[in-house]
Amino acid sequence: MDLLEELKAKDVNVEEAIERFLGNASLYEKMLMKFLDLMNDMAVDTDFDCNEYDDIIEKTHAIKGAAGNLSINPIYEAYTEIVNLLRAKQPEQAKLILEKILPVQNDIIDCIKKYHK
Amino acid sequence: MKVQMNKKKTILIVDDVEINRTILAEIFKDEYEIMEACNGVQAMEIINSKLEISAVLLDLLMPEMDGLQVLEEMNRSKKINRIPVFLITAADSEKKLTEGYNLGAIDVIRKPFMPHFLKCRISNVVELYAHRNQLEIIVKEQVERLDRLNQSMIETLAAVIEFRDGESGEHVKRISGLTSILMKEVSDTYPEYHLPESEIDKISRSSTLHDVGKISIPDSILNKPGRLTKEEFEVMKQHTTKGCEILQTIPDIMDEGIYKYSYDICRHHHERWDGKGYPDGLSGNEISIWAQVVSVADVYDALTSERCYKKAFSHDTAVQMIVDGECGAFNPKILEVFTKVADRIKK
Repeated sequence: MDLLEELKAKDVNVEEAIERFLGNASLYEKMLMKFLDLMNDMAVDTDFDCNEYDDIIEKTHAIKGAAGNLSINPIYEAYTEIVNLLRAKQPEQAKLILEKILPVQNDIIDCIKKYHK
Repeated sequence: MKVQMNKKKTILIVDDVEINRTILAEIFKDEYEIMEACNGVQAMEIINSKLEISAVLLDLLMPEMDGLQVLEEMNRSKKINRIPVFLITAADSEKKLTEGYNLGAIDVIRKPFMPHFLKCRISNVVELYAHRNQLEIIVKEQVERLDRLNQSMIETLAAVIEFRDGESGEHVKRISGLTSILMKEVSDTYPEYHLPESEIDKISRSSTLHDVGKISIPDSILNKPGRLTKEEFEVMKQHTTKGCEILQTIPDIMDEGIYKYSYDICRHHHERWDGKGYPDGLSGNEISIWAQVVSVADVYDALTSERCYKKAFSHDTAVQMIVDGECGAFNPKILEVFTKVADRIKK
């Protein structure tokens, strides 16, 4: 199994994403590697301050946008919900979603890392 | 900042996330030259450069300077009127979107991107703006051409009259230059006489027609070497009102502003501050400031030019004669300005 097949098995809509890259699958793979950098730079953990979280909104917003464009749907959907909850001033509920998605997210990231040259 | 050079129209992609920029670049790279910026500061550097940007795809949330701040800057520089801006956003910030639209954004690009729709929407708007901008340039060129044509007709008319008067046609040009210098200084010095530069330009151009009525004065009076008799002087004075009659027959060769100033200058450039001028015997600020200024310019030029009935006075003598009131009464404020710019006038 290659990277794209493995990602499909993890609910990543690979066909849709490659269509977004106008059929350029290698560019898509390259951007998946860039996604690793983004997740590294924008890493969000569940211990963020529930009174002061503007930077968390920015980070989760960036992750959501990139994940959506790469059709990494589990991460995109979870972060959409997280951003909405943070904007609605419900950080505790946002943390619950974050807790649930982190293992899924790590699994996808590990999978991409495996193919990182 | 990444630049690629060719002759295609240029799209600027502004997003702090490289993945988003890369997808958009991939979508548009065949049809457009792509420039990229990862924050608002970089974006403004490109927008304010000499590069012709055909569209900006602008992320809202960015470090250093966000999308709304970029829009505010573009409003300040009026670039927003010429460059369409598309907001890149997820459907999670309606308030910011509304602010974006209020600041002149043309449309919204939702994430995740849908390439086909994006291509169509952006290409349509880019073409529309290009067409509109081109039309604006054409209209501006036509207006300028028409303006030049009108001005040259006015100057020709004034020069024809000058030649009859035994002048070379330089008198009207000098009056226009003197009027411009004096009027600018009066406007800058006295708030009550302040006028925008565009109006001063019209006044200066209008001043060339101040003596258009001389065409109706018989040669025997106009070119008489000696002093005019009382009756002859009465005829000569009519050049002010006759000039207005002539202008009334040709209003179409000048725009409304030029016509208004020309008419007023033509009629009132021989009025005097003390009410002893002609044709209406106006006094003080009953006389428009532009007619007063042309009046001083006209007297100065007459004094420093040789005429069939007199030699030319030197610049210094002419200035002194005007200031001393030997050539009629003028607004003291204009005289003060006249003294101030005397050296510039001499040059």
